[in-house]
Amino acid sequence: MLIVGDQAPDFSLPRLDGTDWGLEEEAAGDPLLLAFIETDCPTCRLTIPYLKRLAEALGPDSHRVVAVSQDGGQETRELVEAYDVSFPVLLDTDLDVSRSYDPPSVPALFLVGEGGRIELSEVGFHKGDLNSAAEKMLSSLGLPVQTVADPDDGAPAMKPGCTSRHLEPAVAVESGEATTERTGGGTGGGTGGADSEPSPKPIDLLPERAPAASRVTLADDEDPYEYCMSAGFSPFLPVVPPTAERVDTFLAGVPHPPDRVVGLVPPCYGPATIEKIAANAVMAGCKPEYMEVLIPVIRAACDERFNLHGVQATTHSATPLIILSGPAAARLGFASGAGVFGNVARANSSVGRALQLVMTNLGGALPGEIDMSALGNPGRFSYCVAENHEESPWEPLHVELGFGEDESTVTLFAAGGLTEVSEHTARTGAGVLRTIAATLSMVWSWRQCGRVDAVVVLCPEHAATLSSDGFTKGDARDFLFEHTGVPLRAFDHEGTEGTQARDSYEEVLIDGEPHYRKFADPSQIRIIVAGGTAGKFSAVMGGWLAGAEGSQTVTYPVKW
Amino acid sequence: MSTLVNPLDESSRDRQSPAPRLDGLEGKTLALLDISKPRGKEFLDRLEQLLKERYGVSRIVREVKPTYTKPAPGALLERLAFVDGVIEALAD
Repeated sequence: MLIVGDQAPDFSLPRLDGTDWGLEEEAAGDPLLLAFIETDCPTCRLTIPYLKRLAEALGPDSHRVVAVSQDGGQETRELVEAYDVSFPVLLDTDLDVSRSYDPPSVPALFLVGEGGRIELSEVGFHKGDLNSAAEKMLSSLGLPVQTVADPDDGAPAMKPGCTSRHLEPAVAVESGEATTERTGGGTGGGTGGADSEPSPKPIDLLPERAPAASRVTLADDEDPYEYCMSAGFSPFLPVVPPTAERVDTFLAGVPHPPDRVVGLVPPCYGPATIEKIAANAVMAGCKPEYMEVLIPVIRAACDERFNLHGVQATTHSATPLIILSGPAAARLGFASGAGVFGNVARANSSVGRALQLVMTNLGGALPGEIDMSALGNPGRFSYCVAENHEESPWEPLHVELGFGEDESTVTLFAAGGLTEVSEHTARTGAGVLRTIAATLSMVWSWRQCGRVDAVVVLCPEHAATLSSDGFTKGDARDFLFEHTGVPLRAFDHEGTEGTQARDSYEEVLIDGEPHYRKFADPSQIRIIVAGGTAGKFSAVMGGWLAGAEGSQTVTYPVKW
Repeated sequence: MSTLVNPLDESSRDRQSPAPRLDGLEGKTLALLDISKPRGKEFLDRLEQLLKERYGVSRIVREVKPTYTKPAPGALLERLAFVDGVIEALAD
């Protein structure tokens, strides 16, 4: 693969309309971005909207973003139409240019700069590289620099792509024959070209738009509330009927078109368009202004790190807990004080409910079908809390996570049930934390250590005790990490859950007794302050499987 | 009369026919896919033995999913494309 500093070989290829395009002539000494793509590569398709954004930012120089398709005209035309691409798209039908630039995989970006030298050479989808390419091009052309790949738009920060066509076995070995099949068969499908079966639809990881929702007109004598239940809009709990008028009111306050896709909702990956989200928000009883919070909540739920696919399908009872942190909570009327986990405020109840409706109505996880949770969880009706900043002695969660004080965030944690921790006797911070640590040792299953995580909800009274004893939030988390363990004597009972993995556990002394450490890292314990000012009741919420192989807690800024 | 906005997923999906069923196991190549739950290997070792001894399966290919919490990666599925059948096994 050509690398930074190499001279970009000049070439000429046909555009989609058959006219010739030449590198040297088009670049004319200014930067130009070549993007090698395959039409059926999901990562390439994910990249296209960002290239479009860069082209738009370049204004009259939008032709300096150029895609080189490794597929035939028909498949390439379909891609261009599907994504409404207006920058030049070239056809490298015989893959000669691909061979000369030689990327191992696609998408492959080559930024051709001054003197025809390559200034950036990367494969795969990387938001950082896209922004870096944008910065170089925009500043070089004297245009204002802007971010083309928003880190919080719901797409992953990076994603590997597919093997470049010129390196696929059939093409590499029998170049001419395989190329003929590939471009002539209309399959868009590389080595599968010899197969006569129709190829499946290409996968779009994050399409830009999706079709409008259909309308259902009810007869005058039909009760809309009963209709919503019988039609499967919400078979479990009556909802506000999503009339076109109500949905329009919600859409009016959102600065995105109704058909904009916020995310594909696992596990069935239905597109969550602004319109569909609004319809579900209406049903949940939201106010229109809650959309400002609900949209980032849906982004977070569809973030692949959260793994809603697994959370929705597991036999465990986990479901997303929404934690709202920042000034948006008070502005929009979210409760953070007394009774915070209960039916205490319309904002909490309805936003939590809207997420659950989106998960079933667009994600398709109906209980007993795809949602195979053995017990379910009351949080599957609604699970949404706000942090009690007023009563917290510490920095709020969003500030702890690096956001500004004036910003707000939504954090999604795959939470099981809530276990209350009563500690009315301890007068020291350490005393409070030791009681909480004992409850923490039980999350997931008593003898299961390592791949577990938890949220600790400190009530204001406990937080005050800790603070007056000199504990910062970080100190409290470290103390819990150091003092949460399972005594080795518990492992005398072989053949119980957690015993089979004990070889991987870390043995430590806690209060002089040998224990296995419960958590692999302090970051697996998150602390928030919430609840009323009277009552020394905190709570522990165990998560689902922690980490990259399970569900990672994700945070998104509250922004449109 | 009221008009409602459909809040459900309305995407059209291609219908998939079930894979053709095997006429028997004799001489076949089977894959045993461990979903990576605890003790999956133990369970599949025994299954492999029985498939060979009792049913005349000629070859067994073993694969392991990186995690049981997510669908199998495409590359793993591609590696299994040549076998006659797959047994995906749970454990615990």
